[in-house]
Parts: sequence; C-alpha cells; structure tokens
Amino acid sequence: MNIKVFEKLRAAELINDTELGAVKAAEDQRLFSLHWEIKTLLYLGVLLLSGGLGILIYKNIDTIGHQVILLIIGAISAGCFSYCIRKKAPFSWEKVNSPNAFFDYALLLGCLTFVTFVGYLQFQYTAFGTAYGLATFIPLAVLTVSAYYFDHLGVLSMAITNLAAWMGIALTPFQVLSANDFGNERLIYTGAILGVLLLSLALISARKNLKKHFAFTYQNFGAHIIFIASVAGMIVFDTGWIAWFAFMAVVAYFLYQEAFKERSFYFVLITVLYSYVAISIAVVRLLILTNDIGGIYLGLLYFIASAIGVIVLLINLNKKIKHARV
Amino acid sequence: MLAYNSTTLDNLEIKEEAEKALRKNCIELSTYKAIEAAHPVNFYTPNPVIKIGLFILTVVIVSFSLGLLSLMMLDLLRNEDGFAGLCILAGLVCYGVLELFIREKKLFRAGVDDALLWGAVLLICSSMAIVDHVSAGTICFVVCFVTLLATLRFADMVMAGVSYLAFLGFIFTVAMELGPVAKIIMPFLIMVISFTVYVAVKKISGYHFSRHYKHCLTVISVLSLLTLYLAGNYYVVRELSNVMFGLQLQDGQSIPGALFFWAYTAVVPLVYLWLGIHKKDAVLLRTGMILLAAIVFTVRYYHSVLPLETAMVLGGLVLTVGAWALIRYLKTPKHGFTYVETEDPSLADKLKLESLIIAQTYVPGAQPATTNDIQFGGGSGGGGGASGDY
Repeated sequence: MNIKVFEKLRAAELINDTELGAVKAAEDQRLFSLHWEIKTLLYLGVLLLSGGLGILIYKNIDTIGHQVILLIIGAISAGCFSYCIRKKAPFSWEKVNSPNAFFDYALLLGCLTFVTFVGYLQFQYTAFGTAYGLATFIPLAVLTVSAYYFDHLGVLSMAITNLAAWMGIALTPFQVLSANDFGNERLIYTGAILGVLLLSLALISARKNLKKHFAFTYQNFGAHIIFIASVAGMIVFDTGWIAWFAFMAVVAYFLYQEAFKERSFYFVLITVLYSYVAISIAVVRLLILTNDIGGIYLGLLYFIASAIGVIVLLINLNKKIKHARV
Repeated sequence: MLAYNSTTLDNLEIKEEAEKALRKNCIELSTYKAIEAAHPVNFYTPNPVIKIGLFILTVVIVSFSLGLLSLMMLDLLRNEDGFAGLCILAGLVCYGVLELFIREKKLFRAGVDDALLWGAVLLICSSMAIVDHVSAGTICFVVCFVTLLATLRFADMVMAGVSYLAFLGFIFTVAMELGPVAKIIMPFLIMVISFTVYVAVKKISGYHFSRHYKHCLTVISVLSLLTLYLAGNYYVVRELSNVMFGLQLQDGQSIPGALFFWAYTAVVPLVYLWLGIHKKDAVLLRTGMILLAAIVFTVRYYHSVLPLETAMVLGGLVLTVGAWALIRYLKTPKHGFTYVETEDPSLADKLKLESLIIAQTYVPGAQPATTNDIQFGGGSGGGGGASGDY
C-alpha cells in the first residue's frame, strides 16, 4: 500500500487517524513474500529429478530389470496412498480442505505413479489382455474414487481426461484440436455424448450438493468438448449440419442460462464465442450456396458487422452480470 | 501527452489502494464507500474474461476490414507499394478509431483499445517490411519511434518493451557500420546502454510525473537487466560474433577475451540475486533466478561436465532440497522474508488453474499393447511428463 495516498486521504478527512495508523502498521509489518519463487524452484527441482531418474532407469533397464522398476513404482504409489489415507479428513459430500500442504502433492504423486504402474504392466506384460478398455478403465475407476474420496480437483481432471481417453478422445486442453481427428464422424458423436455426460455430471453435483465445487471442472471440460464436437459436426456433415446447428443452439441456450445463474463471466464468454463461430459457419455455408463473387463481399461485410454486434452484446452482458451480482 | 485523464488515473490508483486496505481490514467499509464516492472513475474496464473476448473480436473486425479493403481496391494494389500504403492507411484508421473510443467511450484496458493500438502499430510498421527496400536500421528506428510515441500516449506495457528492444536494435545496426571496431566494442556498448537505461528507469520511476507509467518502467527495467546480461553472455557473444562478424570459429575455438566473458556469464546472475535479496527487489530477484538457468545452459553447451542424466538428478536434488529447506526456514518470517502468499484476488482461482495444468501435462497412461520393445519410450514419456507437474 502506498502510504502517501493514505496521508492525502487523511488530509481530505476521508479516513481517520486510527485507520491511517492501521495502514501504516500493516505496511511496516509487510513481508517480502518468496512464495512463488520457492515454489518455482521446487517444481523445477522435481521436474529435473524425475526426468533425470527416468533417463537413468531407461539407460540401465537391462541391469535393473522390469520387475524391480515395477516394484519401485508400485511401492511409491502404495506409500503415497497409505499416507493420504492416514492423514485425510473424514469423507463428506461438501468441500473438504486438505490437512496440510504436502497432502495434495502426495496424492497427486500416488495417482500418477498408479497410472504409470498400470500402463507399465499393460505395456510390458499385457496384463489386462489386448482389450484396450480394461487397461484404461482401471485407472479411471481409481482416479474417480480418489478424486471424490480425497477431494482433489487435480485428480478429478485427470479422471475426466482418462474417461475421455477410455471413450477414445484426447482431452488435454491445448491438444484438443490437434490430437483428435474431428473429421472422423464417429469421434464427433463420441465427443457430443461425452459432453452431455460431463454437463449432466456438473448439473448433478451442483443441484444435489454432491461435491458442489467439482461442478466447474465438469462443466468446463463438458462445454468445450460438446461445442467443439458440434462445430466439427457443422463442418463435416454436408447434409446433417443443420441438425448439429440445432443441437448446438439447444446446448448453448442451456449453458447460457446456467452461466447466468452462476454469474460466470467465463461461461457466458465461451458460450457467446462458440455460438458466434457456429452462426458464422451457417452463414458461410449459405453464402457458398449462392456461388457468386458477391458472396465473398457479403461474407466479409457479415464478419465485420457481426463482430461489432458481438462486441456490443458482450459489453451489455458484462453490464448485466455485474448488476445481477450487486 | 497521455490519452487518459490524469485525475481519473489518480482516482483509480486511490481506489485500488483503498481496496487493498479494505481487504486487510485497515479501514471500514463505510470509509471505503466514501473514498470511492469522492474519487469517481469513469473508465470502462470490463471483467478480464470478457476483455479477452473483446480483444479477439476486435482482431476479427480489423482483419476482415483489411480483407474487404484489399478486395475492393484490388486494381490499385498491383505492386507491394500499393499494399504497404493500404497498411499505413488501415493503421491510421485504427489509431483514429482508438482515439475516438478513448475520448467518447472512456475505454481503459478494455480489450478493444489494446487490439486497436497493437493493430495500428503493427500495420504501420509492417508496411516497411512489405516494400523490402528499407534497411534494417531504418526499420528499427521507425519502430522505436512509433512505439515510443504509443507508449507515451497510452502507457502500454508491450509498446514500452518493443520500443526498448527496437532502440537496441537501432544502436546495433548503427554500430555495425563502424566495421572491424564494432565487433570489439559491441558487447560493451550494449552493456553500457542497458545499464544506463536501467539506472535511468530507476531514477525516473522515483519522480511523481512518471506515476502513470510505472508498469511500462517495470517492463523496461526487466528487459534492460536481461540485455545487460545477454550482451556479455559467452554463448551470445561467441555465436553472434560468428554469424554477424564472420569470425568463422571452429568447434572448440574460443573468442578473444573469453575469460572475461566466462566470468561475466557466471557472476552477473549471482550479483542480480544478491542485490535482489539485499534490496528486496522482486525484479532483480526474478531476473536473477531466470538467468541462473542461463548459466547452466551456457556452461553445458560448451563443456559436458557430467552426463545429462546425472546433472539432472544432482540439480534436481539440490533444487528440491534447497526449496524444501527454505520453506522450513521461512516457516516463521525471517529478515522480512516469508513463504506465506501475498493475498491477491487474481490468484483466487489458482486451484482451478492448477487442475487444468495437471490435465495438460497428464497423458492417460496405458498404451495399446504392442510387442515392439523399442517403443518403450512412449509409455515412460507419459509417466515422466505427468510426474513433472508434481
């Protein structure tokens, strides 16, 4: 805080002496926080350590042997889980705060090593047979149970990503578009189903008060995947695109209502932007039908005018949510 | 000079300060309301999320308008000069609209204004690259000049940073004209300029008139610290001399004055760190931390002291244990340092962000079973990448 500002406020008699004193005292006691610096060092250290150990093991695989490595990974996982089970607060459908700072990381490490363990077993020994489903389903079950049992949002997003992988979609945030072939019709249907599933889970956890704070994570993944699938559907299907457009309109209306209920700027924004993309695709598809050079001019004009329209819309929505909040 | 009303900017700062005081329970809510009422802020600044949307949409509008203009004037655009002219025209229009919006609609960091400003500067400056008979020095000079004006008028951080870098680029190209002397004095010239700029910025930020530019000044001070280091970094000096001055060094051959540059490479980040801790200066401290990595990379590039994995394990151990020890040490605040986070509302959603990062780095493990043993790396990569986030 800037003491000079408060001294001016005191001179203008907007604050009294006790308040000025409190500000000065707080400023005197202010400490220089090294939180992010130390945390970065810690992250970096763990990154280097795990990477280095990984290479060391990889290079010496012949002398160590697969069983030993499996044993070590399994031991780490079991150790982490047993620590978490001992330390955890009693289960509740409400939000449960973690008992200490290391708990979250221990749980995360336990889950990650468990996934690696199952993956390793499957890769080296084909322990779960050639049916692809089982090897992804076991981590999915363990991750989901852990997320609810220990109340960990990070593990929940891992579970969701795993659910998507089980259904055949890569849901990693920055690779949603690059890792999936959305030209594939089956993948589009799967994406839509997954989106509906996640959105229903979000709705259930919010309405029934079952780990209410998980709703955002479900809704976030669900909204993106369902919108991307619908937009892909509108591009890929030559005759059925109108059906996808209608489907998307329903979803967008639902999400818009939800976003307003929760007063979430974020969901209002993504709903508006995805809907804008969908409407633009519809307009471009119709313009292509005209088969005329004038269509290009009309298209460009449409984009300029519509983008201005969406800006005005967003500014108004921003105002509306803000006033709804007060 | 500034496009924004100076009193309103002051009021904004007072309001933000009062908000901080309110969060720390130093002042009453009624006092805060009174302060807010006495210092009206009529800027339009939407929610940060909406701001991103407005930014994207403005970029859409500018690009499609440019497309439409080029289409309509297709006949005039027979050569590059025509298109460059169109770019300048479009940039000027962007600038005009920006001024109009700020005056009439009181936009302040609203996404629309950022997009228009960056768009205007980008369009005007890229016109020089399009016609391709403009020398590098002229481009640097014009970019520096345009962004400097933009910084003074709109106090935009990105413009300030670009302006400083373009200024260095201009000095570099001018000094290159000196011929053989250039390659000897260049590192020192850049060092001297960076240092002067850093000291000047420190000095300027102490004055009252610079209060609306404090974020710009922070950006420039970080960049000047970085360039001060990079100008003498062994890797940068050696490879740049090789490329720009045709030294034609073979692998293993060294540059003149290598000892000086090696010492500089290793010592400067430590000096930054020491000064940062000593003066409790976050800029110096963080820059020093980033540059520690630069030491490691420079040394490892020329001398493989240890096999990579051993170095990684050792470095990881040192960092992890060191960080852990620091956390324990700072459990109760010492010497004015603490491990406790400063309360910042923008970090409130950190947990949700963290869960997204986990999902980003986490690759669902089990791969389909294959008999090919060599592909083992795929499986381990998933595990390694994921545990990295822990």
